[in-house]
Parts: sequence; structure tokens; C-alpha cells
Amino acid sequence: MGADRVTLLTCAAAGRRVAEFVSSLAGQVGLAEGPAYRLRLAADEIVTNIGVHGYHGRPGPVELVGGVEPDAVWLSIIDEAPAFDPTTHDPGPRLAAGPSHAGEGGFGLFLALRGLDDFRYRRTGGRNENTLIMRRPVDTTARPRRTETS
Amino acid sequence: MAFQARMYTDSETATVTIRLVGDLDSGSAGRLNELIAEASREPVRRLVLLMDRLSYLSSAGLRCLVYAHQKLGPGTDIVLVGTRAEVADTIRLTGLDHSVIMQDPADV
Repeated sequence: MGADRVTLLTCAAAGRRVAEFVSSLAGQVGLAEGPAYRLRLAADEIVTNIGVHGYHGRPGPVELVGGVEPDAVWLSIIDEAPAFDPTTHDPGPRLAAGPSHAGEGGFGLFLALRGLDDFRYRRTGGRNENTLIMRRPVDTTARPRRTETS
Repeated sequence: MAFQARMYTDSETATVTIRLVGDLDSGSAGRLNELIAEASREPVRRLVLLMDRLSYLSSAGLRCLVYAHQKLGPGTDIVLVGTRAEVADTIRLTGLDHSVIMQDPADV
């Protein structure tokens, strides 16, 4: 099984590299515009959250690994920050507060998880592994493959 | 796509218009916040954001809308014109569409 992989550092420019990686992955399988946009948004938000909260604003390593299955495109985001499962984040209070809320943040993980078809988290080898999944029409001619970025 | 923002002010109508181009994310949100802060130095009745060439909006961009709401106050209408479908979906998911006016270009 082949793979796309890249490793980057969390910083202001990380969003650009995430966008390029997702664009390449989506383009390889002809993922539709809407799902490709939501996959980019989810990956951007997860990486941003890792940088801000996991690494506390300091540059830290994040590995992107992308792959294609006959019925799905997946992207794993792997970091070395303290354990954090995004599915434990409760966006309810922020969404209920509206724009007059004193803080301005709190939407990122909600947007990330809401736009995906599936999401999996696991802690392995002292690292967080977030896997983002978008379903696609089954392609019976495609062979499974991986794409990685470090 | 590189982010660009250009601001135009009509003092007679207290209307500030900002044209947004490209990706509004954590790397570019600061630029828009700077313009909003600059606009807030004078009374603003209406803030118009021309969105038709804005190709991407992350939560950092959403925070700009929240910032504008807080900085300009409840007496300022925030109008988003020509927002693309995916960007509009992001705004609606968070409920911020209830705090702004979303218009098609033909309605302006």
C-alpha cells in the first residue's frame, strides 16, 4: 500500500502546507469540492488546535499521512503533544454564547468534527493520532494507497 | 490562495466596505482585525464585507466576525455579500449568521 506523508512544524504557515497536502490528496482521487473543502477545514483546525493548545504556541512537529481506500479518503494527523482526544471537547457553551461572548475562540474543533464523515482518535507510542475520514463513491478499479508528509 | 483585504470608507453614510480575497485563516486573520480596528476609530453604521472572492474561511476567520461585532457594537450592521456556499455553511454551522446580514450581490 503506497502512502503520502509530510512532517511540518506548527506555526502561522502550517495552514498553507496543510492546504497543499489536502489539495493533493483530494485531487488524486477526484474528491468533490465540498468534501475536499471540509477535509481541509478539519485538518487546518486540528493542526491549529495542536499548535495553540498542545504545544502552547511553540513550534512542534506534526506528521500528516494520507491514504485512499476504495470507498474513502483518510488523513492522519500525528503529534507529540500531551494526550488530547478532540471528541471530548464540548462546543455547546461556546455555540450558545453567541458573538457577545467575551472570548472569540472555541469554534475550531466543532467545525472540524462536524464536517467529517468519520473521525478516530488514539494515543499510541506517546503520540496523538487523529484520523479524518471522508467517504466517497466506491471505485472498484482503485487500489488502496497511502500518502505521507513529515 | 494569498489573502488580500482592501477597505473603503464612505464617511457620509458611515459605511465601511472591505473586499476580501483568498484564504482567511489563522495566518491572515490578523490583517482583517487590523482593518476592523482602524474602521472602529470613527462611528460605523454599516460594515460591508464583499465575500465573493473569499475562497476559504477557518475558525480564525470566524473570530474576525466576532471581533467586528464586539469592536463596532450592536448598533452596526455587519453585511456579508456574495458569500460562497462552503464559506456560508461554515458561518451557519456556528450560528453566526444570526448576528450578520447575508446578502446576494443582486440585493445590494
